[in-house]
Amino acid sequence: MALLPDGRALPGKLFIVEGIDGSGKSTQLDMLRKWLISQGYLVAFSEWNSSPIVRRMTKRGKKKQLLSPISFSLVHAADFVDRMERQMLPALKAGAIVLADRYIYTAFGRDVARGVDPNWVREMYSFAIQPTVAFYFKVTLEESLNRILAGRPTLKYYEAGMDVGLHEDPYKSYELFQGRILEEYDKMIDEFNLQAIDATLPLLEQHEMMIEIVEGHLESALRAAQSPWQEVLKSEGLQGRYLAHQVSGDSS
Amino acid sequence: MTQVNFYGYGIPGFTKKRLPGKLLVLEGTDGVGRSTQIALLREWLESKGYATSATGLKRGDLAGKAIQRAMQGHTLGDTTLNLSYATDFADRLERDILPSLRAGFVVLLDRYIYSIFARAQVRGADPAWIRSVLGFALIPDAVFYLQADITHLIPRVLNARGFSYWESGVDFLKGRDYYDSYIEYQTRLIAQFDAMADEFDFMRIDANKGIHDVFLTLKKEINSLIKEMKPPKRKEVEKRLAKVERAKEEVKTKSKQDGKGIAEDQAPGEDKSKKVVKKENPTNDKERPPQAKGDESEKKGAA
Repeated sequence: MALLPDGRALPGKLFIVEGIDGSGKSTQLDMLRKWLISQGYLVAFSEWNSSPIVRRMTKRGKKKQLLSPISFSLVHAADFVDRMERQMLPALKAGAIVLADRYIYTAFGRDVARGVDPNWVREMYSFAIQPTVAFYFKVTLEESLNRILAGRPTLKYYEAGMDVGLHEDPYKSYELFQGRILEEYDKMIDEFNLQAIDATLPLLEQHEMMIEIVEGHLESALRAAQSPWQEVLKSEGLQGRYLAHQVSGDSS
Repeated sequence: MTQVNFYGYGIPGFTKKRLPGKLLVLEGTDGVGRSTQIALLREWLESKGYATSATGLKRGDLAGKAIQRAMQGHTLGDTTLNLSYATDFADRLERDILPSLRAGFVVLLDRYIYSIFARAQVRGADPAWIRSVLGFALIPDAVFYLQADITHLIPRVLNARGFSYWESGVDFLKGRDYYDSYIEYQTRLIAQFDAMADEFDFMRIDANKGIHDVFLTLKKEINSLIKEMKPPKRKEVEKRLAKVERAKEEVKTKSKQDGKGIAEDQAPGEDKSKKVVKKENPTNDKERPPQAKGDESEKKGAA
């Protein structure tokens, strides 16, 4: 059950995934999404740092290195609340399943690793909906670094935690920064009752563990056919030539 | 459009009393399935040989982009936005819909002036004023009103794109709750459409039913409307083309006899065969090609 801050239950279900970079959480969430859709459920999806309005501000701040630990935290909270009001909350009120890639725990981990007060950031997000289940993909620092750094990617300034001043080499800084975040996550498992999953297990094994937990919460979740026109095309002998050109967002 | 009638003052200078095409409108609130049905109908009509075009609100060259930009920035006042919608509609009517009707197209419209009325009226516009402004609108051959309950709309909207700012009426309703606003706004919009159903003689179609049921109903109704404009049979097309060929031969022979070049009135580089085909068609003075693509390829195949 997803809960409002005042304890009222929402009819929808909110499943979220957390974990450090390279923990495989997005892959698992995508697999869960496909499974839920194949079961006929209506699934809404929301991703960290994706609000079209706020994202521009975040992008600019990151590119020009304008962000301090406080403003970094605030701008992500603005992104979160925009997505909550426009994507997650309405879908949950309607009784749908909502999947979120990263949630408030990402802020609690990263922002505290940057040095902001743990209580300040927790109080700021006090408006957040309590998820039905929060999955935490637990992986060792070594394993995550292996996965992320294997191809020697160019690390971005904030991604590497360069603003924190831990080390002047981006790779070394990234290691130290991720280590700090991992520590924060580990502390949160009990604090927020996170559902830990061993992210070093084979993908399918993790997937099945997730399904087993999710299945217990699906009663009365909203269902909808994904492509209801397909049957029409078949029986009418049409190809759907113009269906692809449908204008989306055609609002009055 | 057998008979041309306007709701109000009409279009200055437009005196045609009859148009060979058909103007068919699908109306209904957001997420009720209008565009899906239009996509299906268009393909079905074209496969039967009817030249078909489709358009909808905010798709005109003149004002479509500007309205979309203004809506993104939430910057226009209510009356400005209403008049922008009217501008867009006038532009599409004069430069797209009317030429298509003159050329004998079946024109499928995703929303018409009724949607503009509904969205303006829930925001407090004077119904008489907005009706007068849009009095240059043609009375369509049929208005199909896809009627659905809000409980049927919610899963569809969530599945398609989620609750949007404008579809939830957040621009003028109190509070920031998208879900509650959506219910409130769509309920009010549906009430506006229901009230207009009698005023404008809508044909009500139960859109709580599945896509296939709605499509079958629309097909049946449209079939009886377009019966009289049956596309020419293949044999007839072949006969006509043969006539064109004969005419071409005659011109050639004649010009040889006259010792002149090919037809005098022909501009250099112009494809002659196309021109002659065009002349054969009674609607050659229109901007749009008078036949659907399918028909053209059929002609080429026959020739």
